Amino acid sequence: MVIFRQNCNKLRLLGTNQAANKKTLTKELEHSFVSQLEENQNIVHKICRLYTNDSDAHNDLFQEITIQLWKAFPKFRGDSKFSTWMYRVALNTAITLYRKSKRKVQTQDFEAISFKISSEEYDSTVEDQLKLMYEAVKTLGDIDKALVFLYLENKNYKEIASTLGITEVNARVKMNRIKGKLRTVLNP
Amino acid sequence: MDRLEVLKKEWQTRDQKFPKLSYSDIYPMLLKKSSSIVKWIIIISLLEILFWTLLAFIIPESSNEFYDELGLKGVLRWVNGFNYLVVAFFIYLFYRNYKKIQVTNSIKILMENILQTRKTVHYFVFYNIGMAIALLVGINIYYYYHQEKLIDLLNGQDTYGAIPAETVINKFFIYNFIAGIMIIGFLMLFYFLLYGLLLRRLKRNYRELKKIEV
Repeated sequence: MVIFRQNCNKLRLLGTNQAANKKTLTKELEHSFVSQLEENQNIVHKICRLYTNDSDAHNDLFQEITIQLWKAFPKFRGDSKFSTWMYRVALNTAITLYRKSKRKVQTQDFEAISFKISSEEYDSTVEDQLKLMYEAVKTLGDIDKALVFLYLENKNYKEIASTLGITEVNARVKMNRIKGKLRTVLNP
Repeated sequence: MDRLEVLKKEWQTRDQKFPKLSYSDIYPMLLKKSSSIVKWIIIISLLEILFWTLLAFIIPESSNEFYDELGLKGVLRWVNGFNYLVVAFFIYLFYRNYKKIQVTNSIKILMENILQTRKTVHYFVFYNIGMAIALLVGINIYYYYHQEKLIDLLNGQDTYGAIPAETVINKFFIYNFIAGIMIIGFLMLFYFLLYGLLLRRLKRNYRELKKIEV
């Protein structure tokens, strides 16, 4: 009888331990996720800026991408970099899953398009051309936009193709065509 | 060096002005509810399945008695049994397709899986409308060949009162026909509006992606 009771107590202890473990596990998961997203948030911001037109929509899309990333995070095994994994989920959300919502998102206002100058000398032509390019990319369709974005982020064609789900050859052909279009915008 | 390549370098090295969200800004975002298109599609699909499944239950008792007396009970029971099997099969297909929707898939596969899930529910609805039409036509044909019985039964009801038999039959078929057309027309309009709006962007993007592959 005594042994039985001891066993019961052990079991109970095990139960509470498991619950506690689960809780700390969730906390750890949350912490790991939020810090990695905080570190890589610029990727999401760039996508938001390409796919929305004002800061409200920008924040709303950022929110939705965060939710989708978090929902998919338990399946992230770490066999690729967190940032690489992010591209796919974030683009999928922006292109396919996102619907404008009426949810309130805290808004931080920021200027329309502006690149902080990191080099010593101020090169106004580069600044202007970057803006011009940004505007040109924004007029493209949702899929083409993703293609150019991944190209600008220095992804190779293999990665671009697998993110979009098309063949490498097709990605290359399409990108070359878009490059041609962008060049005519940049050198009128 | 190509101008575009230069800009690509600049794009990567220059910081763009973005809001800098802190840990405590991001954390509350995890707790918010998603408003993704998939969520809406799933909700609407479940409502559709529920609607068509429940519809079979809410046929009034009086109409069942009506069929009984016309000798249709046995046939309708078989139709019902078959219907349950089909509903179960569709729910299984729907669930399987829904499980395939993963945000970590490639853009193309994700789109295809969403469209496939939608298509399953579409087929389910087509099946139901088709079944409704088949039943309507079948029962009316049956009525046509058993007119005497039908007149006897209808004369028992007040609505058709003391109208001559010929008129009763004509009226009966015309009412049946008009009601059928109206219900089907209404359903088609509803679907056209609902999915036209919900899937417009998805379909446009899917076409854009397909065009790359030609």
